[in-house]
Amino acid sequence: MTDPRCPSPIGFTDVVDYWAGELTRAEEERIEAHVFGCAPCARELEAADALARGIAAMARDGRLHTVVTDGILNRLAADGVRIRMFTLEGDAVVPCAVWAGDDLVVARIRADFTGVDAVTIVTRKGSGEEVGRLSDVAVRPGQREILNAFSAARLRTFPETLVHVSVTTATRDAGAGGGERTLAEFTLDHGGSFERPAGPQ
Amino acid sequence: MTAAGTAVSVALVRGSADTRVSAASDGEIARAIASAPPGEAHAQESELYQRFAHRVRLYGRKHLRDDSAADDLAQQVLLLTIERLRAGEVRNPDEIGSFILGASRMLAGSTARKARRRESLTAQFHAPAPYAEPDAATTDIAAVERCLHALAERDRRVLVLTFYAEKTSPEIATELGVTGTVVRVARHRALERLRDCVGLREARKP
Repeated sequence: MTDPRCPSPIGFTDVVDYWAGELTRAEEERIEAHVFGCAPCARELEAADALARGIAAMARDGRLHTVVTDGILNRLAADGVRIRMFTLEGDAVVPCAVWAGDDLVVARIRADFTGVDAVTIVTRKGSGEEVGRLSDVAVRPGQREILNAFSAARLRTFPETLVHVSVTTATRDAGAGGGERTLAEFTLDHGGSFERPAGPQ
Repeated sequence: MTAAGTAVSVALVRGSADTRVSAASDGEIARAIASAPPGEAHAQESELYQRFAHRVRLYGRKHLRDDSAADDLAQQVLLLTIERLRAGEVRNPDEIGSFILGASRMLAGSTARKARRRESLTAQFHAPAPYAEPDAATTDIAAVERCLHALAERDRRVLVLTFYAEKTSPEIATELGVTGTVVRVARHRALERLRDCVGLREARKP
């Protein structure tokens, strides 16, 4: 219920569907007709709008720590977000750093995901401190890489350190590796945060 | 009576009038504007603007997908509404919300007409300065960031894909390897949790 003063309040699920464009035109018109006669339900719509705008603003600021797609990266780039990309593949230690102009840092994680429908990605500093955990990350059939985004602002707080990234998947056989199988492990050599050089070196 | 006492009395009288206006129904506000000499129902016109401008702005954001255009629409629709009320051209002031929605639909439909109308109304009313901007729901981006990152990864991804990348449920479902229904349920759950975490539910209570 949105408010006891509204005899037939619009549910928040309808409000979310309205903003997400999930409703038919007739359903949208029904909600709009109600909202223009009902201040409490208008506030519900306003709350959903504020959240949706907050999510978009956060993304445009590069303040994401989540799995993204190339489509999202293209959109972020079009919105002026400066993205630095590292590819994690094989056994090599990947040198990395965050620069003054960076907004978002993306690890392009490549591994064999055959037969896997979800993974967990854990990021730890060399000290062992866990600094990121993405659980139940969906993997599509045939997918060859996962794009893991970090806010550059957060990475700037990291000292020079090795960073270990492990990608695991749950196994049906609880006896094998405690119900978890490691698909890939990567190491980055994080050099810290740098100012961009003033001119060509 | 001291000067200070006079000032307090004036403030109390003004406060009393504002309370009556803010407690009035939408229809009462509309009828007061319609029955007053043109331009003299300042408090009611301001109240009508405050009550409806944000709803028109939301309508504009939804249908025009442009913040500036939505702001313009709110300005135009409310000026048009007040103009029609003053002229006695609103047939049923008790249904003023329906009139404003109809005006929103009509004006949002034609950008060119909207621009011309704005120029005309602005020239007629000079400036909307007497009308206070309504309080819009605002969010603390840092709170959204903290709360979004507290969600499950799939829920977070659904919200980012929906409200930043503007993907449809079927597109997100393909991305995640689930059904569209699962996406919608995840979106409902995630946005409700986000709202609670950010504190917008509490903030919206009267």
